[in-house]
Amino acid sequence: MADATVRFFEDLDHRGYDPLLAKISGTVRFDLHEGPQSMHWLVRIERGEVQVSREDMEADTVVGTSPALFEDLITGRENGLAALLRGDMTVTGDARLIVQLERIFPGPPHSEGPHRYRKEMR
Amino acid sequence: MAPSHTVRILDGNTFVVSEATGDIEATPTEPTGLFSIDTRFLSKWVLTVNGERLNALSYDDLQYYESRFFLVPGLATHYVDAKLSIIRERAVGGSFRESITILNHDEKAVELEIRMDAGSDFADLFEVKDEILNKKGETYAEVEPDRLRLGYRRGNFRRETIISSSEPARYDRNGFSYTVRLEPNEQWDTNIDVHTQALGPGGRDLRIGLRIHGTERLALQHDLEEWIAKAPKVNSEHGQVAATYQRCMVDLAALRFAPLSLGGQTLPAAGLPWFMTMFGRDSILTCLQTLPFTPDLSATTLRILGALQGTRFDDFREEDPGRILHEMRYGESAAFEEQPHSPYYGSVDATPLFVVLLDEYERWSGDVALVKELEQECRRALRWIDDYADLVGNGYIWYERRNTDNGLENQCWKDSWDSISYADGTLPPFPRATCEVQGYAYDAKMRAARMAREFWGDPAYAEELERDAAELKERFNRDWWVADRGYYALGLDPDGRQCDVLSSNIGHLLWSGIVTDDRAEQVAQHLVGDRLFSGWGVRTLAEGEVRYNPIGYHNGTVWPFDTSFCAWGLRRYGFAEEAATVANGILDAARYFDGRLPEAFGGYPREQTKFPVEYPTACSPQAWSTGAPLLLLRTMLGLEPHEGHLAVEPCLPVGMGRIEVLDIPGRWGRVDAFARGRLDLHKLAD
Repeated sequence: MADATVRFFEDLDHRGYDPLLAKISGTVRFDLHEGPQSMHWLVRIERGEVQVSREDMEADTVVGTSPALFEDLITGRENGLAALLRGDMTVTGDARLIVQLERIFPGPPHSEGPHRYRKEMR
Repeated sequence: MAPSHTVRILDGNTFVVSEATGDIEATPTEPTGLFSIDTRFLSKWVLTVNGERLNALSYDDLQYYESRFFLVPGLATHYVDAKLSIIRERAVGGSFRESITILNHDEKAVELEIRMDAGSDFADLFEVKDEILNKKGETYAEVEPDRLRLGYRRGNFRRETIISSSEPARYDRNGFSYTVRLEPNEQWDTNIDVHTQALGPGGRDLRIGLRIHGTERLALQHDLEEWIAKAPKVNSEHGQVAATYQRCMVDLAALRFAPLSLGGQTLPAAGLPWFMTMFGRDSILTCLQTLPFTPDLSATTLRILGALQGTRFDDFREEDPGRILHEMRYGESAAFEEQPHSPYYGSVDATPLFVVLLDEYERWSGDVALVKELEQECRRALRWIDDYADLVGNGYIWYERRNTDNGLENQCWKDSWDSISYADGTLPPFPRATCEVQGYAYDAKMRAARMAREFWGDPAYAEELERDAAELKERFNRDWWVADRGYYALGLDPDGRQCDVLSSNIGHLLWSGIVTDDRAEQVAQHLVGDRLFSGWGVRTLAEGEVRYNPIGYHNGTVWPFDTSFCAWGLRRYGFAEEAATVANGILDAARYFDGRLPEAFGGYPREQTKFPVEYPTACSPQAWSTGAPLLLLRTMLGLEPHEGHLAVEPCLPVGMGRIEVLDIPGRWGRVDAFARGRLDLHKLAD
């Protein structure tokens, strides 16, 4: 299994609280399918308090992707909402949870952010 | 844009644009069709009887979601003795439904071959004005015994149109047909259902669970009635203002939009047909205009925009932490990142305006809970202003796009490429800053200070914000004032040189409160002076400027929304008569459009044209044009929340007669406002 994915969920679990998730409560299960194999990660969110486990149990939102796409999403190489619109990531249940959870994924690795103006550059 | 003879009906972001016969034959110049989630699901929908096209005797837009067409076979020259009538009735509400009724007026029985040609190119909304030649995916048509399935597939992206009929039809890949025998005076009917699907790999529709109301006609009707019943009533002596208000309320209902995956909450979309989606700026400004009438829209808009506030740096989408989005789209180009709208964040005004709307909403509604709920979002927005928007490092909000392929060059409301210029007509380099956005930032800080003190329990933050705001006001009045001409520059370039043209943006400065008292009179006089005021409204750019053009999109046209904020600004600084003057111009213009103001009209002087000349490609109805009459009513009646009650201080022209607004909702419960026109505008002009 991809290290980045394990690291992502372990970090999320250790973080315990994320202010960007303060408005939501619910459970999101990630099903990472590869052939007949599926990895499951269950994220429980209670007004920003986060717990992660490997349980395969019912959840408010179930997100399905390939392990490769998921790794791209959590490293910023792919965008969650675009993947959802494309059908490469599927969502069943309460879509609001994944729209909120997606916000904690990083931006693209090469994005620089605002360009400061420096006169001598011109 | 759709020519004016097309017929449009809509529900949320599903809409139909057709010819006057009800037919759809899309071309790049007439981009008709059935659209949903930014995709065209029907590009061909042509009804024939015995191989003949039909002619329209008349059509009715019954409601925004339904229309009816009365048709006869053949060309106009022979329909006088037509022996058949055909009635098409259609409605959108989730799916698209059309009923066809054919009546035989002949003394003899007739045999009819009734045919609907149906097809779809599944164009993305961003493609509809081009020839669609190189779709990257494949289209397909599947004929089933009881339905025709048209589809488009590109990887896992799948969109389908499923057509079925209540009367048995013969389906083929290009449509469906009926053979019917009608006795004299007999009639035949069928109901056709066109279902649109946005499918993921599991076969589930992306939009499940998003309906704001039932999709049946009755549910739509009930929803509209409830919406109208809940809003204040406006009565006016001469009827016109009341009629304009009623038109606006119905259009606002039509423009409500439930974004994908946010649980069916609605906010105003920007405009039909091409902007039926969420725009940060348009949605917020429309909410500010309509607050006294439909405050619930503000609460949902704030929640939705807060939920999608930026969290990271993404140069393609121009996202930053704390930034409020500009535009969200759901079509193929967004899905495959050929356009950045998933969502796109390239605007610099939506973020400060988000804070402004929250405070204004609380002043009306008393909804402290929402102010507390969105405290962190406000703090992040304010941090964006200070940390990420100040590209030059001198205390202003600047913009320079990072997405150089398809990001917006001008990230203020005047977003066309040539809207910001120096007085000699040349365009400034980037980064650029425009004046009204600095006003919004000032206002956002002042209003956030009030919220911090009263609701967030953080007086230290309040003081810091007020100190920042005071410094910004002082700095702004030093750097932006064009001293020899007595107004504020439209923009600054990164070296501090002023874009010293006279523009409508100075009206927004009055609204934000950044104008020092000693300069307000000069600004006000420019707004009602001959160079800016056309008689109908305030020109975006003053007559006499090098780039002035009465039909220049942001260089001389009059935008009703823009003028409505100028009026609010004039009123804020005590220029009630000047506010009434410009408000009167816009409300007069509304009469020429049956109360539905277009996005923009020509900046020609009123005496020259006698009627407002609609800007050729303007969208209509458009949310902030629909909101303009509501804000003007507020402005003329002097409606202002004041220490928990509603203050009313009318100032309206004699010609308006008596106006009453009943049941204005707010923290006071519901109250009424009455006004009588006492102001003689002709005297003012002398």
